[in-house]
This record gives sequence, C-alpha cells and structure tokens, in this order.
Amino acid sequence: MLQGMIFPKIENRILVGVLSFVAIMVLLGWAAINEGGRMAAFEQTFHARSIEQGAALFTSNCSTCHGSDGLGGAKGPALNNPQLFGYDFYPEVTKEIGALMTEKADLQTEASRPATTPERLAEIDARLAEIDARIEELDAPRRQALQAAIDRGYNPQRPSRLQNVGWAGTTESFVLTTLIHGRPVSNNYWSGGGMVAWSQTAGGPLRMDQLEDLTAYVMNWQRDWTLEDLFAVRQFAIEPVDPAPLRAQIEQLQASGGVIPEPVGTAVRDILVQLESVTGDPARGDALYHGTGGARSFNGTTLGCSTCHLAEGVAVGPQTGGTYSRVLNERMNDPALAGYTPEQYLVESIVLPNNYLVPGFQGLMIANFGQNISVQDLADLLAYLKTQQ
Amino acid sequence: MSVLPFPSFLDDVKEKGLKRAVFEVVDESVERLTAGMNIQDIREALRGEAPSRKPNPRLQPHADGFWLHMRPSYFHSDMTGLYPTFRLGWLSTYFVFFETITGILLMVWYTPSPEIAYSNMINMLTNVPLGQLMRDLHRLGAEAMVLIVALHMVRTWVTGSYKRPRQFTWFTGLILLVITGFLSFTGYLLPWDQLALWAVTIGASMIEATPPPVVGENLNLLIRGGPEIGANGLLRFYLLHVLALPALLFVFTGVHYYKVIVHGHSLPPQKENIGEDTAKRVPLDKRVYFIPDVLTSELLWVAVTTLILVVLCIWFYDAPLEHHADPQVTPLGTTAPWYFLWIQGALKLGDKVFWGLIFPGALLGVMAVWPYIDVTASRRFAHRRFALTLILLLISFVTILSYMGLPEFGVVTAADTAIIHEMTYPPAHNHMGKLLPVPYDQLVPGMYTTSEFSDEEITLADFNQEIETIMAPVALGSRVQSIEANLLDELQNQDYLVVTNLNFAPVPGDAPELRAAMEEFAAMVASHDKELVNAWGGVIITQNQADLKRIDVILSWDTVEVENGRPMLDADGNPVLVRDAEGNVVRSQNIQHIFVHQDGGYFSN
Repeated sequence: MLQGMIFPKIENRILVGVLSFVAIMVLLGWAAINEGGRMAAFEQTFHARSIEQGAALFTSNCSTCHGSDGLGGAKGPALNNPQLFGYDFYPEVTKEIGALMTEKADLQTEASRPATTPERLAEIDARLAEIDARIEELDAPRRQALQAAIDRGYNPQRPSRLQNVGWAGTTESFVLTTLIHGRPVSNNYWSGGGMVAWSQTAGGPLRMDQLEDLTAYVMNWQRDWTLEDLFAVRQFAIEPVDPAPLRAQIEQLQASGGVIPEPVGTAVRDILVQLESVTGDPARGDALYHGTGGARSFNGTTLGCSTCHLAEGVAVGPQTGGTYSRVLNERMNDPALAGYTPEQYLVESIVLPNNYLVPGFQGLMIANFGQNISVQDLADLLAYLKTQQ
Repeated sequence: MSVLPFPSFLDDVKEKGLKRAVFEVVDESVERLTAGMNIQDIREALRGEAPSRKPNPRLQPHADGFWLHMRPSYFHSDMTGLYPTFRLGWLSTYFVFFETITGILLMVWYTPSPEIAYSNMINMLTNVPLGQLMRDLHRLGAEAMVLIVALHMVRTWVTGSYKRPRQFTWFTGLILLVITGFLSFTGYLLPWDQLALWAVTIGASMIEATPPPVVGENLNLLIRGGPEIGANGLLRFYLLHVLALPALLFVFTGVHYYKVIVHGHSLPPQKENIGEDTAKRVPLDKRVYFIPDVLTSELLWVAVTTLILVVLCIWFYDAPLEHHADPQVTPLGTTAPWYFLWIQGALKLGDKVFWGLIFPGALLGVMAVWPYIDVTASRRFAHRRFALTLILLLISFVTILSYMGLPEFGVVTAADTAIIHEMTYPPAHNHMGKLLPVPYDQLVPGMYTTSEFSDEEITLADFNQEIETIMAPVALGSRVQSIEANLLDELQNQDYLVVTNLNFAPVPGDAPELRAAMEEFAAMVASHDKELVNAWGGVIITQNQADLKRIDVILSWDTVEVENGRPMLDADGNPVLVRDAEGNVVRSQNIQHIFVHQDGGYFSN
C-alpha cells in the first residue's frame, strides 16, 4: 500500500489539489475578514502587558520620588493627578471667567485709547467693576471647594499642567518626552535637583520600549477624576513664581525700614545662637509643617513636612506624633549623638538631614531647608515639634 | 501579399480567419513557454491519455526547459509511493520555497535593529492584516523544515541510499542539513524578544569555546559583533539569515538535485540485486513519467501541505513572542532552540571544548565521510545490522542528550527561586506562572498564605500571631526582629509596597482558581521541606490602578546550610540550620512581585 501512488488516478489528484487550493484561498479570505477583530484584540492585550511592564519599572525606578501610588512626594510631583491630565472640575466657571477676562482686557485696551470719551470711560469703569464682582462671585465658591488642594499649590484657574508649561502636544507625549530627557530644574524647586534623563539616548538607563511601557502605565491613571482624587494628591507640580510682585514687596518693606528675612543656612552652631533671641509660635509652626492655610516660609516655599512625616504610621520618614518624646528618650541615648541637646538634634535634622538617620529609614529628605526657612520659621517649627510629646 | 515587408499576423488573419490565427499564436506561445508542449499536448497529458505525436512532447521540457532539466523525466514506479522516500526530500524542497516566500513577505515589515525590531513584531501582529499568520507560517515551516530534513537524512541512512554512486549526494545533503539548522538558528534571533536573545546567546556561546582562546574570542566577536549580542550582532544574524545562508542553501540544493538527475532515485533495497544500481535503467513498463503523473502529484501535495500548514497556523499554532529582549534580565531555565538542545545537553557532560565543539564536529565529520567508510555493497536491511544499530543508537543518544539539555536536568536552582518563578513567570514556551491565569476577578485584594493549606492544624489568627512574635535575624549579624518586621522592611524599602502590617486571611470562597494556585504553592513549599524548613508562602494582592493589580509573592523559611546547591543533612537526615552567634535561627525570605492587568489575556489564553 505504501508503494502505490496516493490518488493513483490523475483526475482525483487534480480534483483534490484544486479543492485544497480553493480551501486555502477560502481560509485566507476568512482569516483576512477576521483580521480586524484579531488585531484589535491583540493590541488590547499588548497594551495591557505594556502597562504591566511599566508598572514594574515604575515601582523600581520612579516610586521613591513620585510615590508608589503616584501621588507625589518630597522629590517629585504626583502623576496620579487630575492636574497632569488637565482635568477641570469647574469647566463652566473656567469658561465664564475666561470670557469675562477677555472682555475685561478688551475694555482696558479701549479705555487706554485717547479717542475714548469720558462718558464711555465711565461706562467702561462701571462694567469693569461689574466684571470683577462677577469673577469673584464665580471664583469664591470654587476656591472654597478646592481649598485643601490650593493649600498644597493647586491653582484652580490653571488646572492643566500642560497649559501651564505651554505644551502643545498630548499628555502622552509630554510624559514620554519628560522620561526621555528628564527635567533639569533649580534646586530651589526640588531638592537634589530635577529629574534625571531616563533614556539611553540621553544618557539614562532605560531603553525606548521601557519608556513606552512606563508612559502606558502613567497614562493608565487617566480616569473620571473626582475631587477625592484631587485631594489625595500629596504634591503638585511646582510652578515658578513671578518675581515681580515679590520684588515690589521687598522694596516696600525696605522703604518702611523693615528687615528682610534671610535663610538660616546650615551652620548649626550659629543657628542655635540666633534661635536664643527668637520666640517660636507653635500654631504657625503647625501650619508650616502641614502646609495648611496657605502657610509658606519666608521666601514663599510650601514646606509640607507632613507629606512624608505622617501624623501616625510610617510612610517615608518617621511619624510626627511623639517626635519629641522619641528624641528625648531614644535618640539622645544613641552613643553616636553624645553631647547633643534635643534642640541641636532637631535643627541639624532639618537643615542637614543626612548627617545621621533614624535606624530603619533611608536618606530621602530634602537637603535644602536651610535655604528655604528663616530663623523665625525654624523657631516656629521647633515650637510645634516640642508639642509632639 | 503582406502590407509589411515581412510576413505578419495580419497576413495570417487574412489567410485563416481571426479565430484560427489567434489560436495558432497562443498555441505557439504555450509551446515556447513550456519548452515543447502545446495546448493539445497539455490537454492530453491532463486527461491521462497517451501522447498523440512523436517524438514524445512530454520529454521536451526536461531536455529544453530550465526548470524541468533539474527533474528526471520519469520515475521508477516503485519510487512514486510513500515508501521508500516518505516524500521527505520533496518536502524539504517544498519548505525551501515556502520559507523563501513567507520570509520575503516578512522582510517587508522588518528592520534589523534592536531599536525597532520588536516594535516591528508588534506592528506585524497589531497592524498588518494576515501578518500574524505569515509569521506563524514562517516559524512553523522553519521548525518543520529542520525536522523533515533530519528525517530525510535518517531515511537515507536506513535504506542505505548513500552508498555508491550517491556518496557525494549524501555529502551535499549533510551540508544542507547544517545550513538548515543555522538558518533556523539565525532566524531565531530576529524577533528580538527574550526567547530569541537568550536562546541565541546560549547557542553562540559555544563558539567561544573554540581553542585556542584567541581564536574563540575573535570568532565570538565576529559572529556577535561585540562582547554581547547587540545592534551589530542582530544585523549580522539578519544578513546571514536572508542572504548568505539562503545563497548557500540554493547552491547546494541545486547540486543535490543535479545529483538526483545524474544517478536517479535509489530504489527500495529489496528491489535490486546486491551491489547493483538500476535506477537509471527503468524498464518501460515501470516508468512513471514526470509529465503528467509526478507533476500533478507534486502539485497536489503542494496544495495539501500548504492547506495543512494554514489550518495549523489559523487554529492551533502561534509563533511565540515574549517580552522585549533585555540583556540585563536572564530568564530562569533558558534553553537553546530544541534542535540544538542535544549540544546543550552534551555540554552538561563536561568540558566545553570537547562536548561543545569536538563532539558535534566529530559527529558531523563521521557522518560526512560515512559513505566512504561504509563501502559494503549490500543495501538490504538484513546485511546492515551494524549500520542500522548505529543509527538507532545515534537517535537514542541525541534524544537523551536533548532531554539533558532541558533545564530540568542537572541545573540546580535554589528551591525558593524555583518556587517563586513557578508562581510568577511570564508566558514562555506556552506556559506561565500559576498566578497569571487566575481570572482577574478572582485576584481579590488581600493577604493569603500557604499555611491555610498546610497539614499542620493552625488557625490563621494563630499564624498571624506567630509571625509577629517569632524573632529572627534575616542574615548573620543583622537585627533580630519579628518575622513580620523583617518582611515589612523588605516590602516597604526594596519592593516599595505600601503596607503597614501583615494580616493573612482565608482565600475567599468565590475565588476557586486563586485557591487552586495557593494550594499548588503550598504543595511546592511542602515538597521542599529539606531546604525550606518551617517554610510558608504568602501572596499579597493589592489594587495598583483601576484595572491593574499587583501581586507580591513571599517565601519565608529557616535557613539551612547548603552544599553544592543541596541542603546539608546531619546524621539523622535532618537539615542543618544556620544560627547566629546568639543561637538564633537565621530566617530567610524571598519576595517577588508581578503586575496583572485586566486585559492581560492570560486567562483566556
């Protein structure tokens, strides 16, 4: 049987061959018809796996600065953040205020023209007053609702990070570009400098496909944002401050004979001497510590110590509750700290945080507080910490 | 009289009428194209009738045409059935063309650069209609080709067809086998995924063993294009795959085929007298002419084989594609492609130079000259017991070596690493970690432990209490603190998991697949009680994003003294525990995490 030709009759060979050929064509056609669905399904799966890969990369490379939950931390802003995705919680208000602002600008231009008659000027002034009142009327409830976020640097009038930095592309391309070349910024904004470049092209450690995975992961935080999401953000992006009004304030202060506060610096002994002549206010210290009520240090920095030092429990740094007791009862017994006073210990911990570490913690604290707080700020903080028995 | 100064088609039309003139032109064209057969000849051939004119026009294409001059004009009727060839030689050639065609289609979508090769793969799978099918066909065809060519060689050995006068045909066939292996191997790297990179890294590392070291190192550099396979290596493999090796393959295929014309197909051994070769002296009544019988038969098999491959690739086979190649991450249990596993297995026997180079080299060398060694005249099975025994031994040996090449054999992996890998590894070779196929809904956030499934009667409340109270260091000289604190330290500071305490709970009743995975986890932990003393495993599932869950897999055990990868046992057969200066048992822990997306597709796969 094995020696006979299969399909010994030529007509059978032709028939089976033709049928097989037709079957191949039908199958290819059938497969081609289904390709759309097949490719879409594969794309979905591949995107999901890309997010998984991105999640793993984020955990090992990004979470120390941006937080495991992406809500931001001492060294990096939140990415799990409606602001990054440009979500406006009050689009109607923004729209109306925007229209009013345009009208206001037009009226002001008109008022500045020499041809404008005094009657018209009076009309314009009346309308401008109306506009300001209306803007305040619209903005006040929004401010009130978002106060908790505003306290941490959120600006409800400019809810989109992309708009604030003048980015014309998509959020996705913004994230990817930032990953590729990092974000070199001044130490005055973020301690330890900005974000390093992550792509191999720009001298970083990651390949392009890994950056794409990371981008897919960050973009996967996009959802229907709620106010809870906004309030969960620990750290917003820091926008540079317009120096003009600050300069005006300084000049005003100098003119009235006031003293311009200076940063305390990092010379612990000198600071301790200066502190002797200053009285701390624990309430202001509390506000500075938690960044509440818009409290800022002498140069306008929101300190937000409580981002890492939670009231209870351990996040990045030791908990706030019981700080002073622990300093007195535990830290002062450390032989390495022999001769320290509790005050010296606290001051040094704030201005030179990496000189020593509480066992079990990593040196993640920003080292630029010496530049951002005055003696008064420091005294207030110490007064507050001393209440944490 | 012609309107033109020479006879033209118009004259023919005038003379014979349009229909007749056109037919004659077409008929003549067909005869020229087929190098000898006009329409009537073809019609007769396909009807199975005898040729109506002489000389036989069906022999003309073999004599005058290019393509058929490489095929015999008639076969011996004993050669047209399945036995003795099993169509293996023909199938090998079929795959040469099949791979060339599918390969050229794939080349349209591929760029040999580490930067985008993998994206090309993804693009082919997500954006090119029938792209996946082409890739599947090419990959399946490649694997089948290696197998078919090897079987063709075995068959030739078994029927003694390598004997005089076909010694050189055998030799070219062996070269074709080697080229086929290398073609398949070089193609392996091109998708630039983890599977490709590491299989090829292992394969290429054998080259480095070539003595003396200066030669090995330079050969290695030459083939890889650098100390590691990177952009240069990929480009070299690509050029070998699409240019150099196919060129050689076509040349040797031509030689191989020409030798078949010269010597004819060797007949089944029992059909000839011993020592005779009658392939070229086919009696008239035994002749099966190529046109039409063999030709239609071959066209039939082209259609049927292609149909089988298409059916397999549409419903049963998908070419593997793992994660993007990453030289920093070596997957556990990496192997060479299956057809090189026997060399990987041989390497485990000892010296790299001997087993990796000299042994395979000698094996091929002996095979190449075998027809000149085995000069006995008889091709009958009964007279070739030695040669047949040898080939069976060789097949057995290579099969055993291939098994030895698997990671299951002779590779000692620490029990904790192996178990955690078994729970979490990404899809590879159509398998994946046990936690991945658990349906997304059943991955209920929470903390679960294998203690729930252990034989010891312990409630989870007691277990949670125990890990809080049992104090141990995690390494010699490290702080003595509770097992829970040790685990939390690592989870928080190295794995960046936001977790403040460990509190294990029973696996929910509506998560049977998760329960099954945990039970398997528990069984694996229990089966390694010599290495993993007082061990327990844990799984912490957390919601990372709205549609993404994170799974941390924990293993915690009393450290034992290990020698050569195996636990040291005392006189009673119990493992020897590692203790610090104060006599505390040192606790070990291993934690890995993975992420699972709702649309990851692990479950439906």
